[in-house]
Amino acid sequence: MDASKATRYLESLLGQTLRVHTTDTRMFVGIFKCTDADRNIILASTYEYRFPPPSAVQEAASAADNQSSSFKMNMTSRLIGLVVVPGQHITRIEVEETAEQARFRQKLEK
Amino acid sequence: MLPNSEIRSTAMRVVTQSIVPHDITEHFTQAASKLVAGQLVKDEYFTLFEAVGALEIMDPKMDSGFIAPGEDLAEALQDSYDVTQELRPEQVVGIMDGLLCHEMAWHMGHPLSQTLFTSIYLDKLLWPIPKTMEQATFSRETDDKDNVLVQLVLRAYCLGLVKACDLVHGQVVSEYFYEEEDFVTQLYNRSLLSEFDVDAILKIINQALDWVDGPENSIDDPLTKALRVRLLFRRDFLTALEQNSKVLQTRSTKHLSSCISHISALEKSSPLGQAVPEAFSLKIQRKLASTVPPRPMVNISIENALSHLRRLCQDAIDIQQVLEYSCPYNVMISVWTLMSRKPQPSVYIRSLLQTIVFSDMRVLGSLSIKNFMYDDLAQLVLPHNILLQANMDNIELPSDPRFRIAQQMDDFVKRFSQPFLDTFRSICLNRCRFRRTLCHTAVDWDTLQMEAEELDTELRALTLEPPLKLHGGEPAYSYPLSSWAYHQKLTQLRTILQLGFELSIYAPEELPGMYWYLSHICSAHLAHIDRIRTFTLAASRGPAAVLTLPGGTKANASEREGAFHTSLRLLERLTTQLIAIDAFAIALHALYVLLARHGVLPRASSPNQAYSSERLRYELRMKPFLPISLPEPVPYAEYRGEADLEGDSDATVLERATRAIAEARKAWETILARGVFLVPSPTAAGTTHAPRSIEEDWKREVKDTMRACIGTSIAIESIKKALAARSSEGVPVRVEIPELGSKMRWHDWWAVPHIVPRS
Repeated sequence: MDASKATRYLESLLGQTLRVHTTDTRMFVGIFKCTDADRNIILASTYEYRFPPPSAVQEAASAADNQSSSFKMNMTSRLIGLVVVPGQHITRIEVEETAEQARFRQKLEK
Repeated sequence: MLPNSEIRSTAMRVVTQSIVPHDITEHFTQAASKLVAGQLVKDEYFTLFEAVGALEIMDPKMDSGFIAPGEDLAEALQDSYDVTQELRPEQVVGIMDGLLCHEMAWHMGHPLSQTLFTSIYLDKLLWPIPKTMEQATFSRETDDKDNVLVQLVLRAYCLGLVKACDLVHGQVVSEYFYEEEDFVTQLYNRSLLSEFDVDAILKIINQALDWVDGPENSIDDPLTKALRVRLLFRRDFLTALEQNSKVLQTRSTKHLSSCISHISALEKSSPLGQAVPEAFSLKIQRKLASTVPPRPMVNISIENALSHLRRLCQDAIDIQQVLEYSCPYNVMISVWTLMSRKPQPSVYIRSLLQTIVFSDMRVLGSLSIKNFMYDDLAQLVLPHNILLQANMDNIELPSDPRFRIAQQMDDFVKRFSQPFLDTFRSICLNRCRFRRTLCHTAVDWDTLQMEAEELDTELRALTLEPPLKLHGGEPAYSYPLSSWAYHQKLTQLRTILQLGFELSIYAPEELPGMYWYLSHICSAHLAHIDRIRTFTLAASRGPAAVLTLPGGTKANASEREGAFHTSLRLLERLTTQLIAIDAFAIALHALYVLLARHGVLPRASSPNQAYSSERLRYELRMKPFLPISLPEPVPYAEYRGEADLEGDSDATVLERATRAIAEARKAWETILARGVFLVPSPTAAGTTHAPRSIEEDWKREVKDTMRACIGTSIAIESIKKALAARSSEGVPVRVEIPELGSKMRWHDWWAVPHIVPRS
């Protein structure tokens, strides 16, 4: 991928909803506004999602054990607005998109 | 001004099924690595300015959800404090008082996240949002009926508190206020029990009171009393706030008075309580929907909280006195006096007063805007005048001049009612905002005055007003509507200056000039009032009116006389007040000129004047008024000559100061003797029961001004002696300008210098 192509690719993602996972296992879901060479990401109207703490997971698991092997838990979320996620703390980036948008993006990735 | 209707809400994020997340980590990272250092890929509408406001994730100072490495996750989010545990009564009292402190801190303008929402009890009570009253408990799983002290008594207290906050929040956001400056409306996606009726909560408080007074209660007497008074206070406070939300119908101060009566008992019993700091935690901020960095808990003392509460209740009682309507002039005095209290009434009170002044298209809950405006016009410029009497109900013939007058006047009311009402409502803003707003509205009123002038000309063709021959022999007309508008504008210009002194905007070296400008505005205003008086007197002597309404004029001859009488008395009052301010300003101006001349006036700017000059400062002060056509802006050269009293010897200036201050004292004495309110008609004199506490505040203010007058006389004498004792080393005095709030500053508006002889 050359530089101009890379820029075009990142520009195609602007305005889309990204899910950015961080080293402390939180996930930030917001509208992609800006990034730079260090992969710092600015998201607008961001929600913070947090996995339930292990103790709560254990409790839920033991409560569910009797009926089945799998169980569901809700992640807690809250609106925190405009954030910048520093590149060094990012573990994973996902984009929320429809099948059509995905096809278009994959073209740009090549 | 516009009403505040924006309420922040945070809806849940909705994701539709057809949208799927795809991992793009690798591609994203690769693409980003191709960017050169400093290159940004950004949304074209996204600015760097906005980016500065972004919260940095994983930065402990910015990221409220940050959990330090090594910190236990469960511990970090969930406090180990058990809300279902049994508490001793002294602990319950301690928690209640802690909550009250937080509640008052919120009233003072701190956000909920730093005050009430640090309480673990409230967090459990309000999250997840309860759908029924039964769900609004500290623990929805365990239902421990035996733990009455917590599950009934403390819960009832908390419910009463949260609902009270809901009512306060609802009131504040319904009127004009400044977010974060006055109040933080943010609820962090929680609800303050707004779905529930006050009655349902009062029922629970009553249940708790029954238990406290019942046989099952084995707590010793002083603590039982402490718990009872806290619940009683909650009940009365909640009821009072609910009545305030319908203040125009209820007009009751009973519950507010009983709140005040509980305060001393709250104060006395608070040492019995034992604080439970573990019941409050900042960790809750990690769960609140908040766009701001984490911030520390706000702790105020119980004494501080109770004194705020007492003031709040007293102010809430006193503002209802505004409802006793007699005339717009008196309403203005009342609103002004109440809002000038120090410290300024809290944002809730200021909001409530805006509602009282105007809501549901009614002024003070009973008058139409038109009637209210007409009352003001009648008193100031149009006593018993056809312009205000004509209406389309009596005359239906469109060609009749009276019909056309009525039509024109209706247009006038439509155009002027909002700005006119805002002259009352803007007083309810915080003082800095009030001054800023005035700087804008004064310019608006300049335009309004010109529009009124056009209307005056059109109306004159209909009323066939005979001209007066004034000094020059040129025919002159009364221009009633534009005269009224000019009066409003001059009042605003003067208020801007006086608030400037109150807010310590001016540097000491500006004081001579600003007091000169104040007297300049006052003399323009005095001349204007004189002009109005000339026309009012002429009208009172002239024939009743060229145009009359059906129904004859003989019957209301006495009414007519009364109207003119009231009007002339109002003009007399305004004149005295302006003379008093003018004379005082002249005296201080002269005094400051002497101090500046002899180099003893302290300076705020550096002596080498690198970045400040008198011309620049003058330009800065006059900037808001440049668009105003009348009174004409004073050119700098002229200002300089006038403000420095160029060409006058020290003796002349001293003489001027002495004479002016004597005149000011006399005028203020007359004002005090005349009393706070204008009694609209002589017949009503005995019947109106004047609002007492407003009157007292007003008297105190006038007396403070008189004290400042005396202080000025003393200062003039001191400088006179010092000038006589002048040597080659200059004038042997040291000059201090007392700070606002200090003992020597008798009145905020009058910065009287303190002159100390230097040996």
